[in-house]
Amino acid sequence: MTNYLATFHTHLAALKTHRSLTAAGLAARMAPVPRRISSSCGTCVLYSAENPCYDKLDTDTEAVYLLNEDGTAALLREFE
Amino acid sequence: MQKENFFKKYWLVMLTGLLVGAAAVALTAFGNPANMGFCIACFLRDIAGSLKLHGAGVVQYFRPEIVGIVAGACIMALIGKEFKPKAGSSPVIRFTLGAAVMVGALVFLGCPLRMVIRIGGGDLNAIIGLAGFVLGILIGIFFLKHNFSLGRAYKQGKVEGLAFPVMLIAGFVLTLISVSFFAVSTEGPGSMHAPILLALGIGLVVGALAQKSRLCMVGGLRDAVMFKEFGLLAGFGCILVAVLVGNAILGNLKFGFEGQPIAHTEWLWNLLGMTVVGWGCTLLGGCPLRQLILAGEGNSDSAITVLGMIAGAAAAHTLKTASSADGTGVNGPIATIVCLAVCLLVSVTHLKKEQ
Repeated sequence: MTNYLATFHTHLAALKTHRSLTAAGLAARMAPVPRRISSSCGTCVLYSAENPCYDKLDTDTEAVYLLNEDGTAALLREFE
Repeated sequence: MQKENFFKKYWLVMLTGLLVGAAAVALTAFGNPANMGFCIACFLRDIAGSLKLHGAGVVQYFRPEIVGIVAGACIMALIGKEFKPKAGSSPVIRFTLGAAVMVGALVFLGCPLRMVIRIGGGDLNAIIGLAGFVLGILIGIFFLKHNFSLGRAYKQGKVEGLAFPVMLIAGFVLTLISVSFFAVSTEGPGSMHAPILLALGIGLVVGALAQKSRLCMVGGLRDAVMFKEFGLLAGFGCILVAVLVGNAILGNLKFGFEGQPIAHTEWLWNLLGMTVVGWGCTLLGGCPLRQLILAGEGNSDSAITVLGMIAGAAAAHTLKTASSADGTGVNGPIATIVCLAVCLLVSVTHLKKEQ
């Protein structure tokens, strides 16, 4: 399992993604976006999965990060 | 261990909170009205007055603190490569909510920041305001949890993002060139102000730190309730601690309901005025201070919200809905009800259906 963090353009997109991931049986939780990732004060979703599960992310997803064991985050993909 | 991690994680927002509180006490000591060292609502209202958007002669002054906060956030965002112009998330609704928040704030007589500063001065009416503020945030969270959204924003060009900060800086430069460009009160709160450059400097530092730390009065309670994250709330608490200590040192601490500076004792309207503020700001995604910071980062939706607040302030004084130390304005109660209705209408009309 790998840990991912997704950021969104709206809180609603985070809410819907969280619902979609948990409905698929994945461990996911919502949290404020960590400051080191963004200056925006939106909501992110942290989840553990075999892959980034792009198909389960809302259309208003902003970006997906890979969370490393040491707590650092690497940008995987940015959406328009 | 848990405590160590908490301080390590949130030291900046806590430091910012302490500095904002200390700055508020200092600005009052240097000339700003009592318990009004910092108040985003009051300062925007004074700016509206300085532009003669309303005719209340006692609250007219182009407050340099507002310019400093926006410019400080803008400079810090540019340095940190976080200046990201964007716009397009329900601008007219945001303008309207900004105006409603301002009308509510002027019924209570203060934004969430001044609410904390008033509590720190011993004004117990502000505790009732806090209860209303929490109530408003809880109502807002209820709608957030039930699919409320004002829609997403889209990337914009640099000029769009810089327009609002530059406009404010230009206004400030005009005040330096000639005092006659803007109206200035000769009596009342608008006539009381700290030296211009000191006010600007403190605004710059607060803006820069608030951009770095994301300090937000509404975000603190929202994150605590929704995610059990207490960092921003700790910043909120630190403002209170700094103001309490500062006022105690300067001998300005006076607990009670009666005779508090620029405040009234009509508890129901203090409560409901701040309910509007809490509810409206939760829908907007941040308190008035946070809107200024986001506007500094190039967010035009927040700039529109601030313009809505200025328009709301002008309306509040023109339509006699703003309170004074004597009590609520003649149209204050009805305006509060209207603003609550506006918040409800915006909330229920922006509940998105599941696809």
